[in-house]
Amino acid sequence: MDFDFSPVEQAFADEVDTWLVENHDPVVMDHHRENFSQLSDTPERRAFMKKLAAKGWLGMSWPKEYGGKEIEGVYEYILNEALSKHAAPQIGKGVGIIGKTLIRHGSDKLKKEFLPKVLDADVEFAVGYSEPAAGSDAANMQLKADKVEGGYLLNGQKMWTTSAHFADWYWVGARTDPEKAKHDGLSLFLIPMDHPGLEVQSLPTIGKDTTNQVFFENVFVPDEYLVGKRGRGFHMISEALDLERFTMFTLSPIAHRTEVLVDWVKKAKRDDAPLKDDPNVRRTIAQIVTDTAVAKGLSTRFVCAAKSGGKPPTIESSQYKLFTTSLSQRVCKDALDIQGHEGTLMEGQDDAPIMGRFEGAYRATMNETVGGGSSEIQKNIIARRHLGLPKNF
Amino acid sequence: MDLDLTEEQQMVIDMTRGMLAEHSTTAIVRDMEDDPKGYPDTLWKQMSELGLNGLLIPEAYGGGGQTLLEGAFVYEEIGRAMAPTPHFVSCVMSAGVLLEAGSEDQKQAWLGRIANGDAILTPAWLEPQRGFGEAGIALEATADGDGFNLNGRKRLVAFASSAERLIVLARTAAGVDLFLVDPRAKGVQMKQLLSQGREAQYQIDFADVRVSSADRIGAAGSGWKTWHTVMLQGVILLAGSAVGGASRCLEETVNYANQRVQFDKPLGAFQALSHYMADASTRIDFGPMAKLFCCETYRETTRVCAQIWGGVAFTIEYDQQMFFRRAKALQLSWWDTPYLEELIAQDVLDR
Repeated sequence: MDFDFSPVEQAFADEVDTWLVENHDPVVMDHHRENFSQLSDTPERRAFMKKLAAKGWLGMSWPKEYGGKEIEGVYEYILNEALSKHAAPQIGKGVGIIGKTLIRHGSDKLKKEFLPKVLDADVEFAVGYSEPAAGSDAANMQLKADKVEGGYLLNGQKMWTTSAHFADWYWVGARTDPEKAKHDGLSLFLIPMDHPGLEVQSLPTIGKDTTNQVFFENVFVPDEYLVGKRGRGFHMISEALDLERFTMFTLSPIAHRTEVLVDWVKKAKRDDAPLKDDPNVRRTIAQIVTDTAVAKGLSTRFVCAAKSGGKPPTIESSQYKLFTTSLSQRVCKDALDIQGHEGTLMEGQDDAPIMGRFEGAYRATMNETVGGGSSEIQKNIIARRHLGLPKNF
Repeated sequence: MDLDLTEEQQMVIDMTRGMLAEHSTTAIVRDMEDDPKGYPDTLWKQMSELGLNGLLIPEAYGGGGQTLLEGAFVYEEIGRAMAPTPHFVSCVMSAGVLLEAGSEDQKQAWLGRIANGDAILTPAWLEPQRGFGEAGIALEATADGDGFNLNGRKRLVAFASSAERLIVLARTAAGVDLFLVDPRAKGVQMKQLLSQGREAQYQIDFADVRVSSADRIGAAGSGWKTWHTVMLQGVILLAGSAVGGASRCLEETVNYANQRVQFDKPLGAFQALSHYMADASTRIDFGPMAKLFCCETYRETTRVCAQIWGGVAFTIEYDQQMFFRRAKALQLSWWDTPYLEELIAQDVLDR
């Protein structure tokens, strides 16, 4: 196993980083939005994605016949790490799970309609899997899709559709075959987000941003917008998650927070004495820096496993997600502990330390150990698939 | 050791809980977040009428003359309800400072009015880039004739907009002194700063603010000792508040875990989750009245509870986020973890 990037990969990483420095734009790149900075949710951010498209950086891992370059997924990982380091919007749903699922399972019509738009950054997607009763139990989706003449009629509700308020298309899992087993009764659909039967309701979060719940009332979807085979929805969702680890979650934002904290501690004073001379502070910083290096190691490990081909790096990826999201919260907690009473000041308040970054991040990272597969789900995966322990739920 | 409550104690608890259930609902708590005043008049009036504002003030000064133990029971309820109230700054800290070191005139002037809720006083203590210790007091009080001129900046002064007097910790030639300062005096400027706990907090600038020697509390140079003594009492009550917040947060989470079904079972049936709740309850039930332990319990409880609620804990709509923010804010305020650890270590190792 090779833990280093190849010279070509390293050259690409450098190229992207240089380009991002040259194209720095505070309107597009905002660290204070924490994890929400990955969204292309404003005209400026969409224009930025068009620039990435013009660089040929969208769909790099796709087959050539669909406009890709057929290069390894690791380049998409490198790209996303660089983008997230700069708090720029990231490639994700379109290039990743949706594009790749369409390539493997979509009809010619859907491929022709969507793949070129993804490559040109002309379409933004929202993903609708979660529902009130389908959280960790993702296969428990209840959104009804009844077969009618020429298509399906969808009724029900989705939760946590982060991009619903700005996306063009909705990638939705729904129950087409309620009489079948839970995992076999789901199908995938593409729905225009401006469909009159969809009602998007904002769900403000404890962070700076909002997510959404979406209500479906007699939403008619023509047959040709069913993705792949009816009843294969959950299998396609799982396959995409397994195949698409490269653009799922990045380490850079956490490494960046550690860096920002260290820089601040170096300069900060308390009672006229350098804060960095406080042995408690020194110890905390040493722990954070060590754990950040471990997270980097775990990230490299799953990237190497993914690069090597063969079976999907599910275990490596679960270990990485489990450790890193917990670290992310710990860094924010420790940062506030180091800052003391001044740490309680929010962004925008008179000389709040690091412009209130960690007060905000303490709130914004609260969801990291829940979203995208909770820590408990990751532990179940590790226990069962890695250690061979019996299924216990 | 007798761990049972007396009938009177239980009565105070029940009465406080009942009143707060009506006058400090989470809807009211939400309304008061970032509000410039920060507390509802109705709640304040109720607290006065039930004798809670005067609870710890001796009967001779118009209070109820109860001990810190009764105070801690009340604070557990205040914490449970996240009650938006200047009780701590006025009826505990300011009254405590006056009782500890105030002149008879100062006590007569303020304690009765604090006890009946008529006057609110609040300490102006912390400063930018300075810690919780004595060295943290840099605001200057320069002797000038029969009084002092104050210059400097204070932070996180809670409920300052409603205060009739500030108790300012200032540095004089003699050390640290405490002064009663009228916030409407010339040279005082107040600005609300938003903070994690979202209570009404102010930054206050003092530019040549004149105070007379009669407004000093206690002998010259005795201010820090007074403050430290009163803080030692105050943190006991805040520990009670943390335990109250943690236990309410856990109770609501346990209810949710019994109702919410995933994988065809209630969440509480999953050992991985039920053990989180068991751990939290052990800390909460065992919690001695120490701010260090209780604030960490509160924070840790809000963290694991958020994990059990899942995504909804991340939304503004659910109440969990209010506990989550307050737990951390309380831990960082009124002596944070490193400061408390150092005090305890000194007590154990350096005596």
